[in-house]
This record gives sequence, structure tokens and C-alpha cells, in this order.
Amino acid sequence: MEKLLEVKDLHVSFQTYSGEVQAVRGVSFDVKKGETVAIVGESGCGKSVTAQTIIKLIPMPPGEIKQGSILFNEKEIVTKSKKEMFEIRGKEIGMIFQDPMTSLNPTMKVGNQIREGLIKHQRMSPRAATERAIELLKLVEIPQPEKRINQYPHEFSGGMRQRAMIAIALACNPKLLIADEPTTALDVTIQAQILKLMKNIQKKMGTSIILITHDLGVVADLCDRIVVMYAGKVVEQGTKREIFKNPQHPYTKGLLRSIPRLDQEKETSLIPIFGTPPDLISPPDGCGFCERCDDAMNICKLEDAELHQVSETHQSRCWLLHPMAQGVES
Amino acid sequence: MMKKGFKLSLLAVLGLVFVMGMVLIGCTDETADPVDDEPVEDQDNSTEDEPKDEPADNPPVEEKVFRASFASEPPSLDPGQATDTTSSTVLRGVFEGLTRVTPNGTELAGAESYEISDDYLTYTFTLRDHNWTNGDAVTAHDYEYAWKRVLNPEFAADYAYQLYYIKNAEAANTGEGSLDDVGVKALDDKTLEVTLENPTAYIMDLFAFTTYKPVNKKVVEANANWSNDAGELYVSNGPYKLDVWEHGNEVQLVKNEGYWDADTVQLDRIIYAVVEDEGTVLALYEDGELDWAGSPFSSLPTDALPVLKDQGLLTTQIRTGTYMYLFNVEKEPFNNKKIRQALSYAIHRQTIIDNVSQGEQIPAMGLVPANMELVKEPYFPDNNVEQAKQLFNEALAELGYASAEDLPPIVLSHNTSEGHQKIAQAVQEQWRQAFGIEVTLENAEWGVYLDQLDAGDFQIGRYGWIGDFNDPINFLEIFKEIGGNNKTNWHNEEYASLLDKSYSEGDVAVRTQLLKDAEAIFMDEMPVAPFYYYTFNYVYNPQIKDIFLDSLGNTDLKWAYVE
Amino acid sequence: MTRFLLRRLFFVLISLWVIISATFFLMKAVPGGPFSAEKKVPDEILKSLEAHYGLDKPLAVQYYDYLKSVVTWDLGPSFRYDAETVNQIINRTFKISLVLGLEALLLSIALGLFFGVMAALYHNKFQDYSSMVLAVIGMSVPSFILAVFLQYIFAIKFDIFPAGRFESPLHHVLPALSLAALPTAFIARLTRSNMLEVLQQDYIKTARAKGIKENAVMIKHAIRNAILPVVTYLGPLTAGILTGSFVVENIYGIPGLGTQFVQSITNRDYTVIMGTTVFYSIILVFMIFVVDMLYGVIDPRINITGDNAKGGNANEFQ
Repeated sequence: MEKLLEVKDLHVSFQTYSGEVQAVRGVSFDVKKGETVAIVGESGCGKSVTAQTIIKLIPMPPGEIKQGSILFNEKEIVTKSKKEMFEIRGKEIGMIFQDPMTSLNPTMKVGNQIREGLIKHQRMSPRAATERAIELLKLVEIPQPEKRINQYPHEFSGGMRQRAMIAIALACNPKLLIADEPTTALDVTIQAQILKLMKNIQKKMGTSIILITHDLGVVADLCDRIVVMYAGKVVEQGTKREIFKNPQHPYTKGLLRSIPRLDQEKETSLIPIFGTPPDLISPPDGCGFCERCDDAMNICKLEDAELHQVSETHQSRCWLLHPMAQGVES
Repeated sequence: MMKKGFKLSLLAVLGLVFVMGMVLIGCTDETADPVDDEPVEDQDNSTEDEPKDEPADNPPVEEKVFRASFASEPPSLDPGQATDTTSSTVLRGVFEGLTRVTPNGTELAGAESYEISDDYLTYTFTLRDHNWTNGDAVTAHDYEYAWKRVLNPEFAADYAYQLYYIKNAEAANTGEGSLDDVGVKALDDKTLEVTLENPTAYIMDLFAFTTYKPVNKKVVEANANWSNDAGELYVSNGPYKLDVWEHGNEVQLVKNEGYWDADTVQLDRIIYAVVEDEGTVLALYEDGELDWAGSPFSSLPTDALPVLKDQGLLTTQIRTGTYMYLFNVEKEPFNNKKIRQALSYAIHRQTIIDNVSQGEQIPAMGLVPANMELVKEPYFPDNNVEQAKQLFNEALAELGYASAEDLPPIVLSHNTSEGHQKIAQAVQEQWRQAFGIEVTLENAEWGVYLDQLDAGDFQIGRYGWIGDFNDPINFLEIFKEIGGNNKTNWHNEEYASLLDKSYSEGDVAVRTQLLKDAEAIFMDEMPVAPFYYYTFNYVYNPQIKDIFLDSLGNTDLKWAYVE
Repeated sequence: MTRFLLRRLFFVLISLWVIISATFFLMKAVPGGPFSAEKKVPDEILKSLEAHYGLDKPLAVQYYDYLKSVVTWDLGPSFRYDAETVNQIINRTFKISLVLGLEALLLSIALGLFFGVMAALYHNKFQDYSSMVLAVIGMSVPSFILAVFLQYIFAIKFDIFPAGRFESPLHHVLPALSLAALPTAFIARLTRSNMLEVLQQDYIKTARAKGIKENAVMIKHAIRNAILPVVTYLGPLTAGILTGSFVVENIYGIPGLGTQFVQSITNRDYTVIMGTTVFYSIILVFMIFVVDMLYGVIDPRINITGDNAKGGNANEFQ
């Protein structure tokens, strides 16, 4: 399949009072057309920064793309001007944020918030834009869309707001939808509805999706491939099956152990990952995870591992996969 | 990277706000206008007003203009109702009475000649041929009507008592007598007979006073509100006529071409702006927007006086008025004469004038202002601390106090004002040094303070008296009886009888001696400590000449001209 | 909505009645009367004056008469100024104060928003620091000092503007500035902190993610939300401008309602005191009412009627 997005060796830093925070330290992954890729990791691992860098939404300064490239539709994003980005944001790439309660402008009618992008990008007449907004609300399964477009966000429930957000993001038929923790702030039942909705829409429209989450359970149903990030780096990536059935990185394994499963035996309790991620102002030379890793070796502290090709689609950044390592008894 | 967008957005927002502003201002102007449309009478003066807007601000070069300011709007431009200096300043310009106070003394004005009866009680005036601004002739009936109108109790004029010199006026005003019995009568159109209660030495000055001005009987009878605005109804007979009266903001007079002595009048226009703040008055003067800043039209900030004096710009002129401290003689220890004398003698007036009040005032060691020349010498030397101490100790002994510490607490009250306070502080310090007594200062807002004085709720209180007419009796009379303006509770039979004698005394020299004797008693009894005689301090445009300012604070612009 | 309006109107009337009564009795309690003067008017004349103005009647009757005159808005004659009734005085002076007040109001909103928005957009830069230094000065310098200072600098030293009075538009500049300084500073600070807060909000990110231009983001999304609290400040702002006008009008010799109000108190001009007080109260109460309404219009989340409207939050998707 054709690659829609290709991120190569992306480094993003933020200048702060206490020093340079290296939030993203050489991230590479790609997204093919029509594909859903999940970026998984805990808070502060750089997944949101990566996502926002793709449409250059991070504030610059203090943020800065140190190196690397982002190819979207074979065009370089990193070097694009602000003006050129206006043509990509909303039109080519849509984005959904975590908290639907705060992501909508409270003083603007929902319909207008949807129409804004349409009028700008599709040069639609206000009337056409209104019709399209109604269609979009229908698409995201909001009942009575004619009435709803004239309402304000506070008249919507949380789930409905996220639907409205999806409608805004999809307004101009973007090729790529970036969903940054779209369900985290929602009730569990609503989460499932939203995920189902996204899946349906993807089927209908063929949009590629980058789904950013800290919750592997959420991605299980929706995505094709999973990218696991830790401390600003990709530590493992592969197809859904590969990650769930054959995780190679101790961090991935830890994540999997920490989600509840239906087939779990009653006595076994969930096992959390102890410790905290490293400080990215002075990132460690070695593997960022080694302080928390039960299987850490001497080499892990000294030098970070390369990505090891586990299969054609599966890579993992762990010394344990090095030919010289002896493997772990699991 | 956001800057460009931001600038645009900012422009847009500001543009929006300003447009909004314009629209709003536009709206208010339109909506505010209808309020302006008062009843028809106002129409006349709106036409009068029109030329004023532009040309009056920038009068044509040939127009000779004098510009001064008042601290407040004239409370009334009806001569029968006016009681204040602001109103009378305007009224002196627009009305002509029987007499007018001129630089050469009081002269006949509206009257051409007069005769006095042998008992000095009946004055018969023959009026000059002259007209009201509406063309009517000024008649003796107008005078009779004007005075009786003021005395009518229903008219409720504050200054009705200014007419009490006229026979039966008081009785008529208090409702005990009839207006028909009042001693003013038009014998015919040109002849006015005035009968007085007592012979009155200064009656010719009084006839020039505002309350004695005539009004046009026909107009005033028909329109109770004739004096509310400039316009056709405002009929007068003076050197100037009322051209513009923008309430609260401005009064403008123009030369009255129909005035009997119009040839003398040189100014084309007089503009009085209403500006309360003293600093602003000075600023406007310095800006060239006023020709006069300071008394008697307005006043100057005390802080500015030394500076203006150093620059040689300040003019100082004595004023018939006395600043004083009243003693409440019913309160211990001020029931003792020597204590009163001691406190009065110990004040160093000249230091306080030089360093505190700074208005070039004249130390007062007598009640009657020095320019009235009742006596040539002060009754005691200023800052006579030695004698004061001696008197103080004698007083302590008489009152039965062992030392100054045993005296009851002493409070000096004044109305709230920085100037009064500074003076009181200086006096407080001088008394401390002279006698070792601690005096407490108290102040109250003007209205409250007057009530305190009236109620006798004070020990020592600041007071001031500005002369109403140029005669010592005006000052001596205050303390003749307890009550009214005499808040000291002091009464002296001999003093009162001397004044009584002076009322009916026709011989000027004898009368003067009677008044001198009375003042001597007063200054010995010392129910008040005179402090200083007021002065006028002002700066003015020296191109304006012959502005007549008498010591009572009466200004008359009849003879003024621009060089 | 009608019920709500009636309820609000009722409260407005109650508060006005309280203010009117309090002013009446306070005024009667304060020593000194309209006819006290250094030179005392003879008692008989005083009596006829009091009878003339109805001050000899029992207090209850005076109070009743007074309430009646307020209700019919026929406030009677001024005790001091013969030429005008209280109604005429208020009509005349308020027109002037209204113009000056509106100018100050608009000036403070425009300048306040300008400086506030600029400070927020150039957060921690020169523009921010200089705006905030100006704001601190504006908030800490009392208006009478500022008025005198401006008068000295711009009227006397440089002779750019007139030193006082209220004739041409040029005359309006200094008093409007003096009056606007404090609210400008307040609005600038308020706008800046709101703006900084709003710029951090997710919906700003959403708006940017839509690809709309930065100035559209600022105007449609940021500034509108940032000025909401400024609207609530309009009530106190009006009050501030009204009270500020007492001093500023006096300093610049402007014949407005503020000058009149202060003078009437010194003069114990009972009818004018009462008239102006009631008039001020009406303006203030009305402004607060308007601000409440306005807030409901600008911020749809605020439900001014207090009734929980149907179709509100409860609308959960099946």
C-alpha cells in the first residue's frame, strides 16, 4: 500500500527555564492510505508532541524541530511555511483532541465551528456550508442535526461534543485524521460508541487515522498497526497481532500486563509498571526503560539499542533481541 | 510566526471598537437632542445662543472682550432674589439703581436729582429719562413694585432684610404690617418718594445695592420666570445686557446701546465662565483664556500666591472684611475677659500671614477693617506675649486655677478647609509656646460647622465677616444682640446703647465718636480675637484698564476698556 | 422571560426605594440646612423660606411629598439656583456628563483591550512589560492627580489642549483621558490575563487545527472569549466613571452632573441632592441590569433567567 505519511528520525525539543526538553528523540514510523495506526505510550512519552508536530501545532518557540523529516503525500512538512500549513491543516489533515469539554469554543454555535473550515478550505457559500454541516452531524450520528447546528457546545453532552469534534475534523474530507486520546475523557460506554463511529467513518471515507492513546485496550479493536513510544522514542512497532501476541520489548509487555482481559483468571491481579520515565531534559545515554526493566543488562545503561527487525512489519528497540543476548525466560 | 496575523487582527478589533464608538456617540447625540427642546420661551435664547458657539469663542478682532470666571453658576439673576457676590457682579453690570458706586464715590445713576427732608427721613428722587432694554421707560412705579415685591413674605427673599431701613418694611415682610404702609411711593412716573425708619448715613450707598435695583413691573408681573434665562423676557436697564446664559457653564453680557450713559461704556462683551477649581482658573489665565484670575470673581490657589508674587504678577488690594476667632463667653474659661485678651494678644498675626496664609493680609488688632479708618491705631500690638502672659496668670488666679494644666480642655473649631487648618495649627503652636496650654483642633464641613456655631457648641471658633456696605456699623452691629450673627453669647448694655444712639445721630462727627467708643469697649471685652483683614489677590491682563474694584469686593466694569 | 423581567424590575424598584429613603433621612440627619450661611438670615425670613419650600411640614409629610415627586419625576425647584428646576439641572448636566462618560468608556474599552491583547500576544516581551507598567501607573495614580498632571503638561507647558471647560472636541481630550485611565488599566490587566488563559485553551488549538488564519483565530475564538469578563466589569466601570467624574469635571471646569452633585451637597440644596442621587442610582441599577442581560447574550452558557431551560445539558445521546 502507498504511504500517506512518513515520519523519519524526528527530533523535537522545547526550550524551558530548566533547560531543553527533548520530547521526541528520533521517531520514525509511517501511515499507509486507509490504515489506522495507534501510537501508544504513557503520559509524557512524546506521542502527542509527535502528533501535533505533524501539523505543526506545537508552539514554536518554545518548541523546535531539531532534525528529521515528515513526508505527507511525499511532500516535506518540516520546511513548509506557516501559510502553506493553513492549506494542510483542516483540509488534508484533521485533528481531534482529548477533552471534548474544552476543545469546542464555548461562545460559538456548533454549526459555525463546523462551517468555519468549510468556508475557508472549500470556499463554500454560507448556505452550502450549513447544509454540509448538517450532513456531517448526520455522519457522526447526531440526531436532529438541523436543530443542533444552532446550539452551543454547553447544550451538548460529552459524547456528542466529541462527535461534533469528529465532524469538524472530517469536514473537508481530510486524508489523515489525527485523534489525540479521543476517548480518554469519556465514559466507558461512550468510548466504545466513539471508537465504533470512527471505525465506521473510516470504512465509509477511507481516511487514514493516527490514534494516540495511553490505553492499549482502546486500540485493540480499531487499529491495524501499533507504534509503542517510550521516553521520546519508538520502542516497538508492528501489526496489532504482532504487538498483542508477540510483544518483544519489556515495556510493551508491561503495558499488556497492565490491561485487564476477559480471559484473565480471577486470582491474577493486574501488574503495574513500577517507577517513572526518565527526565527528558537530560535523557539517559542508554535505554530509557532500563531503570524500570526487570531484565536490564549492563549494556542497557550504557547505550541504547537499535531497532531490531523482528519480522518484516515488526521492530523492537531492545538489547535482548541482540544476537549476543541470551533471551529471557518468560 | 503569529505576529503578522496578530497585527491584522488587532487592527480589525480596534477598528470595530472605534466604529462602535462613533455609532454610539452619534446615537446619543441624536437621542439627547430632544431633551434640549424646552418650552417655547427657550426658543428665543436658542437663537441668541447660536452666534455664540463659534464667534463667541473667537470673537471678531474688533470686539473688545473681558473674560473672567466664577466659581459657581450665579444662583439668581433676579435682583430681588440674589444674595451672593457672583449674582450681584452680573446684576451690577445689567441693572442700574438709583445710585451707583463709582471710583469717585457714590453718584446718582438712575436718579437725576433728589431732595432730603430736614429730619433725614424722606428722600424724593427724580428719575433720569432712560429705558429698559425692551424700550419701556424706567418709571418710579418700577422701583416701588420691585421693592414691595421683595418685601412680600410670599416672595420669600433671603435679602428682604436689606430693605428694612425703609419705613414699615420689616413689619410688612414679617406679616405684621401691610405692604401698603411701606415707605416707598411713586408720586408720578418720574418721582419716587422713599421714607426711612431712621436717619441712615450710608443710605445712598445702599440705594446702589442689588436688592434696591428696579425691575420692569410689566414684564415681571406677567412672567414669574422672567429671570431664568437670557432672552426677550430678561429686561434690564444697566450698562450691559444679558446676552447668553448657558446654565452652569457661562454668562455673557454685551454692551447695552440703549443705556443712558452708553458713551462711557467701552467693552463690547463680558464673558464669565463657570470654573470651580482654583488651579484650573489659574491654568486658564496662564493659557490666555481668561483676563482675570483671583478675587473677587474667583480665587487663586494659596500655593500659587508666593510664586505669582515673586514674578511680580500678583496684585493685592485691601478688602473690607475681618477674619476672626470667636470666643464663646459662656464656656469656661472664656467667661473670663483676661483669658480672652491673653489669647488674642499672644497671636503673632504677621508671622502667620507671611508664612501660612500668604495672601498679604493685614494683621487685625481691631474689629472694624483698617480702611474704614474708624481709629488710626490698633488697640494692642501684634504678638504682645509679655502682657498676654501676665493677663493669663491673672485670669488663672481669678478663675481659681493653680496652673495652666488645671484649665478645662480647650478646643479650637474651624470649618474644613486646608487654609483654616494651617492657620489654626500655627495658632495652636503659638499658644502652646506662650502659655504651655494644649489646644485641640476640630473641624467640620461648612453646613455642619455653621450649625455648631449657632447652637453655641464651640469654645473658640473661626469666623469671617465681609462688609455689606462701607460703614463701620456693619461690623459693630453684628455683636449688638445675642443670636443672629453674634454667636459669642456676649452682650454689653453700654455697647448696645452706644450703637442705638448712633442710629439716630445725624451729625457725622458725633456718630463716628459713638462708634469709636463702642469699638473700644468691644476690644477691651474681646469677645472675638480679630485675626486679619482680608485682601483681594488677583492676576489680570494689564491690557484691560479701569476695572473698578471697591474694598467691599464689588466690581464694576462700566468704565473698563481694552488698551 | 417576562416573568424574569418583572422579577428583576421588582428588585430594581425595591433597591431604588431603599436608596431614596436612605438619602432622604441621611440628608435630614446631617446638620446644616440649605439656608445656613455665614451671614445669618433673620429668623422670620428663614421661616417664610422654609414655608415656601415646604420644610416646615412634619418629616413624614416631607417624605411622602418627596416620594411623590420622585415617582412623578417632578423634582421641584432648586433651593439655591432660582433659574432652573431640578429636572432642568439634571437634563442639562447629564447631557454633558453622558458625552464625557461615553467618551471615557469607549476610550477605556478600546485602549484597555488594545494594551491587554498586545500584552498577552507579546507575553513576557517588551510590549507586555511596557503595557503592564502603564497599567500599574493607571491603577495607582488617582484621577485627580492625573487630571492636574495632564492639565499642567498638555495645557500649560505645551499648550496642545485647553486647560479646562467643555466647548470644542479638543476640550474633551484631557478630561476623557483622566477619567479613562483607571478603567483602561483595569481592563488591560483583565484582558491580558484572560487572553493568556484563553490562548492555552484547547479550543484555540482546535481552531488552529482547522487551518483558519491566525487573525481569525484571535478575533473569533480568543478575543471574544477573553473579553467576556470585561463585559461584567462594565457595571463597576460605569460606577467608576460616574464617581470619577465628580473630581475630573470639577478640575476641568465641566458643567456636568458630577460637579452639580458635589456642589449641591455643599449647598445643602436638598432637592438637587435627592434628584441627582436618585438619578445616579437609576443609572447604576439600570447599568447592572443591562450588563446582566449583555452577559447572557455574549456568553450562551449563562442562563440569565435562572430557570433551567429545557433542551439543556440533559440531552445525552441514547
